[in-house]
Amino acid sequence: MTNPVIESIRKSLGCTAQTPLSPSTLLRTSPRPAIHAPRQPESTGSETEVFLNEIKKLSGVGQKLSYTEIDASMKALVEEQNVRKATAWETPYLRQLGITEILNSLGVELVSPNANKHEMALCDLGITEADYLLPETGTIVLGSSAEKPRGVSLLPRIHLAIVRPEMLRADMHQVFAEAKDRHYLVFISGASRTADIELTLTLGVHGPKNLYVWMIDE
Amino acid sequence: MTETPAYIGFEEYSEHVPASIPAAVQQATDRFVRGRAARVVELPQWEELRQIGSDIRQHTIENMDVYLTRLEEKVRVAGGHVHWAETAEDANRIVLQIAKEHNVRMAVKSKSMATEEIGLNHALEAAGIQAIETDLGEYIIQLAGTGPSHIIVPAVHLKKEEIAALFREKLGIQAPSDPIELARIAREVLREKFLKAEMGISGGNFLIAETGTLVMVTNEGNGRMCTTMPDLHVAVVGIDKVIPDWESLTVFLKLLARSATGQKLSTYTQFITGPRREEGEFGPKEFHLVLLDNGRSKILKDPIGREVFKCIRCGACANVCPVYKNVGGFAYGWFISGPIGAILSPQMLGTQTARELPYASTLCGACAEVCPVKIPIPTILRHLRRRVAQGDEFAEETLPPPLRLTAGLTSFALAQSWLYRLGTRMLPVFMSIFKRGNWIPSAPYPLSRWTKARPLPPFTAHFRKWWKARSSKKKDSS
Amino acid sequence: MPKAQLFITCLGDQFYTSTLQNMTNILERLGVELVFPSEQTCCGQPLFNNGFEDQTRAVALNFIRAFGKSEAPIVGPSGSCVSMVKHHYPELFKPGTPEYDLAADVASRIFEFTEYLVNVLKVTDVGAVYPHKVTYHATCHYLRELGLKSEAKTLLNSVKGLEFISLKEEETCCGFGGSFSVTFPEISRAMMEHKVNDILASGADTVVMCEPGCLMNIAGGLHKAGSKIRAIHIIDLLASQ
Repeated sequence: MTNPVIESIRKSLGCTAQTPLSPSTLLRTSPRPAIHAPRQPESTGSETEVFLNEIKKLSGVGQKLSYTEIDASMKALVEEQNVRKATAWETPYLRQLGITEILNSLGVELVSPNANKHEMALCDLGITEADYLLPETGTIVLGSSAEKPRGVSLLPRIHLAIVRPEMLRADMHQVFAEAKDRHYLVFISGASRTADIELTLTLGVHGPKNLYVWMIDE
Repeated sequence: MTETPAYIGFEEYSEHVPASIPAAVQQATDRFVRGRAARVVELPQWEELRQIGSDIRQHTIENMDVYLTRLEEKVRVAGGHVHWAETAEDANRIVLQIAKEHNVRMAVKSKSMATEEIGLNHALEAAGIQAIETDLGEYIIQLAGTGPSHIIVPAVHLKKEEIAALFREKLGIQAPSDPIELARIAREVLREKFLKAEMGISGGNFLIAETGTLVMVTNEGNGRMCTTMPDLHVAVVGIDKVIPDWESLTVFLKLLARSATGQKLSTYTQFITGPRREEGEFGPKEFHLVLLDNGRSKILKDPIGREVFKCIRCGACANVCPVYKNVGGFAYGWFISGPIGAILSPQMLGTQTARELPYASTLCGACAEVCPVKIPIPTILRHLRRRVAQGDEFAEETLPPPLRLTAGLTSFALAQSWLYRLGTRMLPVFMSIFKRGNWIPSAPYPLSRWTKARPLPPFTAHFRKWWKARSSKKKDSS
Repeated sequence: MPKAQLFITCLGDQFYTSTLQNMTNILERLGVELVFPSEQTCCGQPLFNNGFEDQTRAVALNFIRAFGKSEAPIVGPSGSCVSMVKHHYPELFKPGTPEYDLAADVASRIFEFTEYLVNVLKVTDVGAVYPHKVTYHATCHYLRELGLKSEAKTLLNSVKGLEFISLKEEETCCGFGGSFSVTFPEISRAMMEHKVNDILASGADTVVMCEPGCLMNIAGGLHKAGSKIRAIHIIDLLASQ
């Protein structure tokens, strides 16, 4: 059973009532035109460099850190950005890194990642991981779940993504092939921006103004 | 501007364009053109991508019913609601119904040309529901009460002083004339709305039939806010936005931001398939997709005109159009401007209302050169001119009788060789009255429309005599 | 000895006698035997571009009959007129009819002047001398519909004494657009002034192009601006000795 819009389309395209709609006969004309071949990735080191460079170009701060440098870097970030409240994903890896403990020790008040939007909006810093990374466009790809709430990368004015090389993918083709059945994905490529007022570039319009990406290299 | 116009008087508007508009528009378009050029050079497979993009969109248009049916099925399986809106009124009614069912008092909107097309804001306001535009440029023109002057940067025609004055007047805030400060004020004001609104309304850049996924391409973060904070998300999307699958999307994502602003990718690209699945993840509890027809399905019957639906709304055509750059977006009379507006509005509104738009072009072809999906805009412009001038199976001709008469006379004079040649011998004699030195600075109507701006050269028309003389000389000497 | 038919265009006929004479002389000097079918009038572009397809047919018929008598290629000084015949004449007639066949035949052997010189006669140097600073305006149909991206510059390159100066926004439309200049005179004026300003800023003393209509527009605009810059057709420049 179809509807008036579909009927109107079929009438315009010259389909008769007999033309079947079953998935197996989905394509009436020639098969969908071939797509351009996906990119072959370089070495991890090279991909990481490209990735962090792109983040820089997009007004983000991209750094390669070893596991032992996390404490100091977090201290620097908290002081530099005057962070008083923070929220973080409680994923196994971030727990393993002891992110909440580090923040606590710096005197930062922690808000649960499952807090309501009004509470989370008061946070200065939101910490996430990433599901995938795209080097050519400096993109971090985030999914969504109760363990990985969307608000953490959106509401606070600073977003810190702690990522690892194994998240790197050559390009969109790979990410899509792996993630197309997820119910939510967001590609984040740099800090929130606009040029709506006299073309003057302004960062941090509605999304986070500061984007930090730490690539943890064991 | 968001109301459907009764008649679009492009020529009349073009005679009184305030100088500030072309100046502002050209600054924006120059920047986007430079940005695009830099990105295109980086991608040696650019022309290939354009062709593939064009092929995919063409294929989808020719199988739109199949893909839309699949899309609907997938959105439903994902837990979303699908509504079909044959007309703008249907769409508004549907959104209002959803709003009423959820006791919505305020809705936050991310940029959506489809909602401007149907005048959704007016319908909501009329029903006592506040509809707040949250894209900074759209928010500014909503406060100003005007339409967009450019597809991507709708408020570019306003100076920062004017925007500051607007904020002071409408928001009662002491706003300085500084873009960064103004954006900060907007961020604060709108944040409160994002957190309070019961409904988020968005458009959509693409609809992936394969999985029932809505794709939204934005830069500011308001798109994410509108579709993440409220418990209810309603997306109003034209049926022409459907694409077959994720693989196809890779092509369009590579083409879109580069063509629009010269970015590799816009800051945020969201892929939304139905509502949230878990409590605590953020995101709406309910997702509604309103599929808007509003005349699109009828246009599919026209094999030439329907190529307009390949459009991915990048604005590259407007950025290179010298006509658009000299008048800005208002002249096009509706929610969409530039060359794409000149071929879409006459098809959707009809050639009675928009009969001037297909003529608002020199057919220079710069638009077709940059269109990422190879829409043959000059061909469609001529196709629509034919509809206006002599009618076709889709509409009757709508040209004023004097112009039809002129065309008939011109055709007659040019087709009868003897008459043309007679005229060619007589014109220089007649026009010599108007000659001043080596030019004709002022001529009678209709040539006065030319000489208003620059002089005519003198009618010399001596070649035929010259040729005849030398031919007979040759004959004599042979 | 190659043979060619002269297509003088209606604007050439009315306003550019010396350009047509120069075209004749250059081609004859290159050894081309010329014919001039005097029944020719106009290619019909103004009607066609305005949507009067039915009215264009009669004008096109006159053209194809005038030029169909000989099998020789047709050469004209206008990219837009040549493009009209080449790309759109076959669209005007029903395939299978004798008119269609004639139109398709004529369309297959029509060339713009620089195209004919460089791509058919394989001539890039006509022995021209023009010791001036010259800038070039790439006209729209010549550039985009006929795809002639290098022919004009190739010919200019061989002109003795010529100093070539690149024009800012060389490929941007000058605002002529045929009837556009009288249907939207204010926009046409704005576009023309933009082009004239770029030419004034170029430092050239001559601007050259391959299109009579654009030439009318730009030359008039330069005169109105009080400029001494010469606006000429490439044929006139190539005829300079």
